[in-house]
Amino acid sequence: MTRRTWPLRAWTLVALAGVLLLSACGEGRQSVLNPSGRDALLLYDLARVMFVGALVLWLLVGGLFVYVTRINPREMSRRLAEGLIVGGGVLFPVVLLGGLLVYSLPLMQAPREADEGLRVHITAEQWWWRVEYELPDGGRVTSANELRLPVGARTGLVLNAHRVIHAFWVPALGGKADMIPGRETYLSLLPEAAGTYRGQCAEFCGASHALMAFETVAMAPADFEAWLAAEAQDAAAPQGEDATRGAQVFAREGCGGCHTVRGTQAVGQVGPDLTHVGSRLSLGAGILGVEAPDFASWIAHTETLKPEVAMPSYDHLPPDDLTALAAYLGGLE
Amino acid sequence: MTRITENEDAREFRSEAGSLWRITFGPLIWAVHFAASYGATALICAKGGTGFVEGLRLGIGIGTGVALVAIAWLGWQSWRQWDLLRDRDWENDQGTGEDRHQFLGHAAFLLAVISFIGVSYVALPVLLIGTCR
Amino acid sequence: MTRPAPLPVAEGTYPPTEDMLNEPVTSEEQDRGKAELRAAWKTPQGWRYISAVNNTEVGVWYALTAFGFMLLAGLLALAMRVQLAFPGNTFLDADRFNQFFTMHGSAMMFLFAVPMFEAISILLLPAFLGARDMPFPRLSAYGYWCFLIGGCFVMGSLLFDAGPKAGWFMYPPLATKEEGVGPDIWLLGLSFIEVASIAAAVELIVGALKCRPPGMRVNIMPLYAWYVTVVGGMILFAFPPLIAGDFLFELQRSFDWPFFDPERGGDPILWQHLFWIFGHPEVYIVFLPSIAIAAMIVPTVARRPIVGYSWIVLSAVGTGFLSFGLWVHHMFTTGLPQMSLGFFSAASEAVVIPTGIQLFAFIATLMVGRVKMTLPMLWIAGALAIFVAGGLTGVMLAIVPFNWQAHDTYFIVAHLHYTLFGGMVFPVIAGVYYFYPFFAKKLLSERLGRWAFWLIFTGFNVTFLPMHLTGLMGMPRRVFTYPESAGWGTLNLISTLGAFVIAAGFAVFVYDMLRPKSRQGQIPRNPWGAGTLEFAHDIPEEAWGVRSVPYITSRYPLWDQTDLVARMDAGRYYLADAPDHQRETIITSVIDAKPIYVQRVTGPAWITIWAAIFTGGAFIFPTFHIYKPAIVCGAFAVVCVMYWLWTSTARPPKDEMRAAGLGLRLPNYVSGPDAVGWWGMWITMLGDATAFASIVFGFFFYWTARPDFPPVDAGHAVGTWVAAAAVLGVLAWAATLLAREVNRRGKVMLARLALVIAPLSAAAAGGAAWLAVRDLDPVSHVYPAILWALMVWLTVHLCAGIIMQCYCLAGCIFGKVTPRHDADLRNVTLYWHFVALKVVVTTALLGLVPGWLP
Repeated sequence: MTRRTWPLRAWTLVALAGVLLLSACGEGRQSVLNPSGRDALLLYDLARVMFVGALVLWLLVGGLFVYVTRINPREMSRRLAEGLIVGGGVLFPVVLLGGLLVYSLPLMQAPREADEGLRVHITAEQWWWRVEYELPDGGRVTSANELRLPVGARTGLVLNAHRVIHAFWVPALGGKADMIPGRETYLSLLPEAAGTYRGQCAEFCGASHALMAFETVAMAPADFEAWLAAEAQDAAAPQGEDATRGAQVFAREGCGGCHTVRGTQAVGQVGPDLTHVGSRLSLGAGILGVEAPDFASWIAHTETLKPEVAMPSYDHLPPDDLTALAAYLGGLE
Repeated sequence: MTRITENEDAREFRSEAGSLWRITFGPLIWAVHFAASYGATALICAKGGTGFVEGLRLGIGIGTGVALVAIAWLGWQSWRQWDLLRDRDWENDQGTGEDRHQFLGHAAFLLAVISFIGVSYVALPVLLIGTCR
Repeated sequence: MTRPAPLPVAEGTYPPTEDMLNEPVTSEEQDRGKAELRAAWKTPQGWRYISAVNNTEVGVWYALTAFGFMLLAGLLALAMRVQLAFPGNTFLDADRFNQFFTMHGSAMMFLFAVPMFEAISILLLPAFLGARDMPFPRLSAYGYWCFLIGGCFVMGSLLFDAGPKAGWFMYPPLATKEEGVGPDIWLLGLSFIEVASIAAAVELIVGALKCRPPGMRVNIMPLYAWYVTVVGGMILFAFPPLIAGDFLFELQRSFDWPFFDPERGGDPILWQHLFWIFGHPEVYIVFLPSIAIAAMIVPTVARRPIVGYSWIVLSAVGTGFLSFGLWVHHMFTTGLPQMSLGFFSAASEAVVIPTGIQLFAFIATLMVGRVKMTLPMLWIAGALAIFVAGGLTGVMLAIVPFNWQAHDTYFIVAHLHYTLFGGMVFPVIAGVYYFYPFFAKKLLSERLGRWAFWLIFTGFNVTFLPMHLTGLMGMPRRVFTYPESAGWGTLNLISTLGAFVIAAGFAVFVYDMLRPKSRQGQIPRNPWGAGTLEFAHDIPEEAWGVRSVPYITSRYPLWDQTDLVARMDAGRYYLADAPDHQRETIITSVIDAKPIYVQRVTGPAWITIWAAIFTGGAFIFPTFHIYKPAIVCGAFAVVCVMYWLWTSTARPPKDEMRAAGLGLRLPNYVSGPDAVGWWGMWITMLGDATAFASIVFGFFFYWTARPDFPPVDAGHAVGTWVAAAAVLGVLAWAATLLAREVNRRGKVMLARLALVIAPLSAAAAGGAAWLAVRDLDPVSHVYPAILWALMVWLTVHLCAGIIMQCYCLAGCIFGKVTPRHDADLRNVTLYWHFVALKVVVTTALLGLVPGWLP
């Protein structure tokens, strides 16, 4: 081969390296390549089939091009060339694409299936998630920024948005669905294995679009029932001196105007429900942990941590008050 | 020698009217079939409710059949106009009236092929999916 | 009064005989012709240079400006890549990042990709067709100045930190709720540019259809001309829905009419439909012209005519059609019924087939030829490698369930850059290398060209190949930061490094273009051995375009027609002189390219610049909610355009006939469908009707999507006034038609009377339409709002129609329109056919349809 052909070979190498990377990068709790839900698993198979097919086709077309321009640039038969247009341009793709459609179109149905089981209503806010579990008696248990699902059962998610369009997406469990003000969209998920998966808003929704995530916890059905029963309870009373003072600071600063802590006088509906905030896995819609310093830092620096967020930074609070608030909120398990 | 007449364009369009209609109608049938399928589905799924879905599928099925027959007919007409088998002329690249005429037939034939494929593909979802959800 | 004699038609010998072509031209004749043409086509010198309107000047400015915007948008991308190089980076804050990505996308689409197509086409199309210039040079110049003003305005907003930041797709309610002027700048600034784009599209279609050289029938015109026709047609049907969307959007932002507000019956999804009905064809509008460049380069490289010419034409036309059935694949996650999604999935797969045919036709051409790899072909090869990869991921994305995962992730970012780099950037650069000798009369460096290629090609793949993976690993698009725990850091860092390699490649390319090349000397006239007419150009440069307009009988005339160039140079063919020192080009028939008449082509002018400045004012002032100066600017813009039309178009000629050469005498004036002006009007009206149809679509969309449309207790339009508007509008149309007919029969006074009645009844129709909806409150609900929007749309068109009628009346009075020279009146009547249609549809929607809706 002449010097001139190496780049095309290099290209092939790059593509192969890509495939290798693809198989090595199945890590991460927010990855399509690490599927744990039934729909995500089916889509993963579909994706692999298509990737291999695409790679083969790319190599064929590229190889043909290299052949006619470099390896054998002499004149070839005109009939062959015309045959290439008819065969390669029409017959082959018609069959291939038709087959792909027949294979893929029915795969749409599962995530849209009507569920027998649990229904969860999720409303996207700027930039957090309001999550309401529908109980069999029609009542609702309100939570925020975290979704818990029973393993092995299909849960229906009824999606809505308050001010602007968002999109709900847990890559490890299935595809995404937009959340649109004034419309209801629907998506169902069926986790196959217990675990914690990260989800994130996928439709651009303003300044802090990048900072709108949540954790999804798939639990054994019995554990889930127990958790839901606990979640339906009112908030625990503050334990210890710090936490008690924290509850006073919470009331004094008017936090209850926006947040609800069930069983107290805080009944605000503007911000996330905090009744069991201490038992959640993240704070600020998936951007911080739930240790005491996280609470203190979040309350004091909301506007830095999440640009244009509605909650003002409480950086005027003395450190003592922040510690106390952190103790109170952390104790709301 | 060719004569250049008053309203030359109108005369030329008249004399090739058949080819031009065939060129336009292939894709146009696809477009109408597509828009009608999409529009009917949107309408029935939004206003009609689930009871009408089977009727919708049947309707689109019939529409697809009609569209495919019409396109096939156009394709046949254009194939004859292209006249490949008689003169084996695949390119029609001479600056003559005959080649221009056959070229238009060729283009119309190929557009009919694409439209046929397009209509068949668009009918697949109706065959494979039976729900508005 | 007797009926006036008809206008003369072409007479003499056509087509030319071989004997006529062989007859030599005397050297005195040659010198006279050259001197006259030089005088007629002289480019203005010094500071007057900017008043030039010739396609070779305007085309180059247009291309350089678009390229400049591309470099700026590229810098924005580099800044974003720096921000994303590391998790939690703070190089850009959220607000600025959001402005940057919004502007990057908007600028690349509206200020680079589409204008670049228009620039290249304005520059090259006349040369492909052996024409002297575009049919409406002042329109190109006007379009260019609009583009420059609008582009600087939109881009400049970033300097004041006031740029739009809701994404290039501007989804409401985010964009309707956004504070500040950002979205208004986007909506009005880009609408302004879209209008310029449509103007250019109209001109390009007319150019490809009517300005071909004699003999160049549709089956032998260069493929580029086919693509221009198709793409122009697509612009005509794709941009108007966006303009209609912009219109509704700006009404909501300025006056709070709730088109996209769900609380008052609106629906944000309507915008998505209108945007993507534009947005997806847009992708092909960008892609097809670049493929057209490849279609010009590939035969030259193969040294063989293209194999499967008809197949490529079919692909272009087929893609053009199918691309309008794909738009919902940008909306697969919006919760539409599965069956609807399936239709669009299927159509998206179907469009692969024509695209594939084009690529295989190129490979087939290379197969039958003896390939000589040149630098332009290297770029085409790179384009092929990249585009095929992007096309294959496109096939994957058209599969709905896969799309549910990949949508709005970096996988899409990778896919779209693969299609746009492979389908646009690389072919365009290939075109720059290939056509540089044509427009700059110099050659670019082979060595620097290879450096630029390998830097950009490698950099591109290093940047975007990993993004497929980043996306599948869960990284959404349009995030200004990401946590370290996500594990996307390494891949993002690689992408950032690659971006700088691309930038280095562009630096080499720009240097190569701009470096002085005076030492190069005179280059060969046809350096690549091409077969198409543009390489019959004059070296050193002459402003006349072609020395004489040739008679063409082949797809590759430079290969097949012996002595063609020598005969062109000698002035053996048509229009080899300019006795009146006027710019002229030959207009031929659409299908068989028979010469019909000689068109006066407009020359240098300042009025186009003034018209663009005032049009700019009319669009830019409303951005800041300043309306009075905007109205004044609008009025001045209209006056400028009228002045330019009045003084330089469709004037009755001094001599009726012109000896065009080769024994052919052609008229200097025609009217109706043979004339380019008529075609320009007809094509513009198709686009305008599409915009109107989009608003009508909005009406029915609300009806299907919203249960409360119209609301149960809604007030409706007043029936009597609606009926009055219908009758008066149709009357205005009928009077215009009557004026045309009686004028043609020589009854001038009666025509003038009709032209007095027509604008009066049109004005009354507008008034009646306003009275019909006056009592409805458009802020309260989307139903009254859309009725108002229809009324406003109709009234604006009636106003434009009134101006045209008055223009014709003035023409009748001052001798510009006579019974024999009635082109203006015919074009205005054509406009009024469309207004009459709008009157009927609008009044039906206002008065009848609400009662019929179940």
